[in-house]
Amino acid sequence: MLVAVGLLLFAILGFRLWFLQILSGESYEVLAMNNRVREVEIEAARGVIYDRDGEALVENRAGLSVAILPMDLKNEAVVVRRLADVLSIPEEDIWSKLDQRENDPYREIIIKEDVPEVPVVTYLKEHSLEFPGVTIRKSYLRNYLRGQFGTHILGHVGEISPEELEREEFRTLHAGQRVGKNGVEAAYDSFLRGESGSRQVEVDAVGRPKRVRGVVQPTPGRNLVLTIDADLQASVEQAIEEGLDRAHAGGFKEASAAAVVALNPRNGEVLALASYPDYDPSVWVGSMSHDDYNLLTAEDAHKPLFNRAIMGRYPAGSTFKPFVAAVSLKTDQFPWTMEVDCDGDFTVGKQVWKDWRPEGHGIVNLVEAITQSCDVYFYTLGKNFYKQSGPVLQNGLREFGFGAPTGLDLPGEYSGRVPDSEWKRDAGETDIDRIWKTGDDVNLAIGQGDLLVTPLQLAVASAAIANGGDVLVPKLGRWITDAGGNVIHEFEQEVRRHIEMNGEELDAIRRGLLNVTSTPRGTAYGAFRGFPIAVAGKTGTAQKIPEDDYAWFMGYAPAENPEIVVVALVERGGHGSSVAAPVVRRVMEAYFQTETSPPKDITATE
Amino acid sequence: MNVLYRAADRPAWGFSISRYLRNIDWILLLATLGLVFAGMAMIYSATASDPNLDSPMRYLHAQGVGLGLGLILLIGMSLLDFSWFSGMHKVLYGVSIALLLATMVFGVERMGARRWLVSPVIDIQTSELVKLLMVVALAGFLTGGVELRHRFRFVALTVVYVAVPAFLIFLQPDLGTALVFVFFLLFMLVGWGVEWRHMVALLSAGVAAVLAILRVLPTVFGIQLLEPYQIQRLLAFLDPEKDPTDQGYQLLQSKIAVASGMYTGKGFMEGTQTHLGFLPTHHTDFIFAVIGEEFGFLGACALLLLYMVVLWRILRAATQSKNLFGSLVCIGIGAVLLFQVFVNIGMSIGIMPITGLPLPFVSYGSSSLVVFLMSVGLVESVRIHSRTALYGGRFRGESYGQMAN
Repeated sequence: MLVAVGLLLFAILGFRLWFLQILSGESYEVLAMNNRVREVEIEAARGVIYDRDGEALVENRAGLSVAILPMDLKNEAVVVRRLADVLSIPEEDIWSKLDQRENDPYREIIIKEDVPEVPVVTYLKEHSLEFPGVTIRKSYLRNYLRGQFGTHILGHVGEISPEELEREEFRTLHAGQRVGKNGVEAAYDSFLRGESGSRQVEVDAVGRPKRVRGVVQPTPGRNLVLTIDADLQASVEQAIEEGLDRAHAGGFKEASAAAVVALNPRNGEVLALASYPDYDPSVWVGSMSHDDYNLLTAEDAHKPLFNRAIMGRYPAGSTFKPFVAAVSLKTDQFPWTMEVDCDGDFTVGKQVWKDWRPEGHGIVNLVEAITQSCDVYFYTLGKNFYKQSGPVLQNGLREFGFGAPTGLDLPGEYSGRVPDSEWKRDAGETDIDRIWKTGDDVNLAIGQGDLLVTPLQLAVASAAIANGGDVLVPKLGRWITDAGGNVIHEFEQEVRRHIEMNGEELDAIRRGLLNVTSTPRGTAYGAFRGFPIAVAGKTGTAQKIPEDDYAWFMGYAPAENPEIVVVALVERGGHGSSVAAPVVRRVMEAYFQTETSPPKDITATE
Repeated sequence: MNVLYRAADRPAWGFSISRYLRNIDWILLLATLGLVFAGMAMIYSATASDPNLDSPMRYLHAQGVGLGLGLILLIGMSLLDFSWFSGMHKVLYGVSIALLLATMVFGVERMGARRWLVSPVIDIQTSELVKLLMVVALAGFLTGGVELRHRFRFVALTVVYVAVPAFLIFLQPDLGTALVFVFFLLFMLVGWGVEWRHMVALLSAGVAAVLAILRVLPTVFGIQLLEPYQIQRLLAFLDPEKDPTDQGYQLLQSKIAVASGMYTGKGFMEGTQTHLGFLPTHHTDFIFAVIGEEFGFLGACALLLLYMVVLWRILRAATQSKNLFGSLVCIGIGAVLLFQVFVNIGMSIGIMPITGLPLPFVSYGSSSLVVFLMSVGLVESVRIHSRTALYGGRFRGESYGQMAN
């Protein structure tokens, strides 16, 4: 009997062992694995951003980040309070980040990036027992080699947001990873980002790493070569500040914002693009401090986060006239030789429009009308367009790219607005406001009224005049290269559409534009006097009541065989001729590397 | 009774070395040594990577000393004629009680239990020694009362006889070892030939007592005989996942270790649960989990097989004993062994509660090792000195058939 008991007990043990080790061994093997194997992410180095000549603009630098591994976090309330104190950030910031932990307690949550080694990191290391679950890890941080430069082009990176995580393009990412938030960092994120690797680490019961089981190396991001010419960009940014000074000196004290776009009219490559005010993009590195954020969003900071070159909403003013002329000629409203007698006034019914020059320009043809920026000539065209059936002018303008995003490879571009009767019917507030009237076409013909354009749209349209009718899709991305510098992708030139223009008529417009800078009658003669290369251009002084006028200039050079189109806008800067045109001249000087300077005093004309 | 005294009268030293070597149970000895060496290998595997250790051999040395001492005592015991002890049961009983009382008064508390008597030479976990002393004492006590088998009063007295030291051990507290006493008492009673109705009465009373301790006393009278942690431990094995931090954690990690060993294990020194510290007290109570993890189902079965061999030889010695006393000693020793093996391994694989009982011959701990080796020596003595009697043509003694079937 005792033997039977013994055998029974051994049978029980044997059966149980068979059940555990043979039948359920594999599932316990998984448990044993989970016990000891942790996957530690290895961040991929983000791609470098170069200018067109290969000068690095944005690189990576190593930085230290403070993170929390939720599963090792003990006594959280106390640890979070201490950590908030040490990092001098609000406790709520840490708590809100910790909310992500439910997804995966094994994944580190970055609390603060770019933490100084002394004293913060050393303190945390020395007092590690007081901070269970708090880890220090190395991460790549963006390094902006030219400092406050190209801010709105480059953009910045930041931690992926919950909304972004929902998006298809980010489906392989997880909370805590960084993505491009703006500028080309966002537009080319999929190239720049790379793919993180992982290290499988075996840890002991208290979480100390014991050995590395395997490593999946990260794939570094691809490099991006921009079409931007860094030196030209720097000149542009400097020219803007000079232009603002000029505006202030001319009595326009409110002038505090501006934008410049320079592009190659042959292929749409953006050579420089600047919006003022800008800021040092490195404020985004690590976690932006509240002070920095307040500075950037302050009332008197004039929205530095806003990229005026592609998002600004401006009346085009007289810079619009060449396009109105082109549409008029193309739709055979009048021959280019038609002459208008300008006495300074234009009357439709009881309403009178004034020319910018009270005494008028006398008898002008199209060439002279552009050169002298004669308003009455264009009022005449506008009134004629009103008589046509349908939005003839608007359709023509839209062909030049107005009223739609140009397709530049930057996020957030504004589409602009080309007003027509349909738009007005929806937008008008009163019954009378909903009716499209003669005056609307008259105003549109001189780039006023409800028209809104961005500086980039004006540049693209100007390029179409310069290159003979190709409306190009502007581009900032030139090549994608691998770590060895080999080009692995080239972004091709894109032509949105070709506008067929009669050579004689186009030539008339171009002559008018050339005369703007090259004849004493021209509105920008003063600004370009002495410049060795023939520049064709057009001034603009857009009215935005009750503010001071917005100064515009668009120009391309060399006039006969254009290589560059430059558009400058100075908000509330006053006259295009005396404020915006000199900015463009500066940019052209930098581009053609000529050394002459514009005369100190330029008579404000239009 | 006369028979027994006649056997004891025979001098213990009256035979040659060659006869001794011929009569010794080599299978038992080799199986035992196999267990000890397997245990030492596992202790080495479990402790060598402990960074807090000054030398990776520390535990092995201590266990080796235990082995040496245990072997000397084993041989000594086997040379003695076991029958000599049968008249000494009162002395042994007195020593047992004295040791336990001394432990109570002078004992050193380690990990919440006062189980150790410390001397400059050796630390003794007295309950381990008392287990063996009590088996021998009880065997003597029962042998002396053979004629009172039909008297329930004597049976009840036997229970009290064992209950006193068991209760003292329970107070240390050491519930597991106290339960060992219950187990060998039952086995030895059966071996002694207790009447079935007495047995049924005893078991009923036992069940009633357990219920009283667990349910009635705490709720009705507010007396908590078991510490809450003891109850928790007893119940944790039923659902270890529920509480994966403490008791349940130990059980779960042990189960993971054993089960993840699968057919052939992860290999010597390769057990991840063991070497990365997930397995608690891996060189003592949970040593079986190390075997299961590193040598898998095959290794675990081999170990069980060794235990079965040892038990088989012990029970064989019981049937061959020249007298009742020897049989009872062997049965008692076998019962202790069987109980501890079952409870310890059962604990490692989640079918028995955590009791802190070491795995005989294998777990780290010299007290347990020395005492179990001594026990084997005693079994050898029963065999050798019964065989001598047998071959010497002497009267073999009554055959106590109950344990043989």
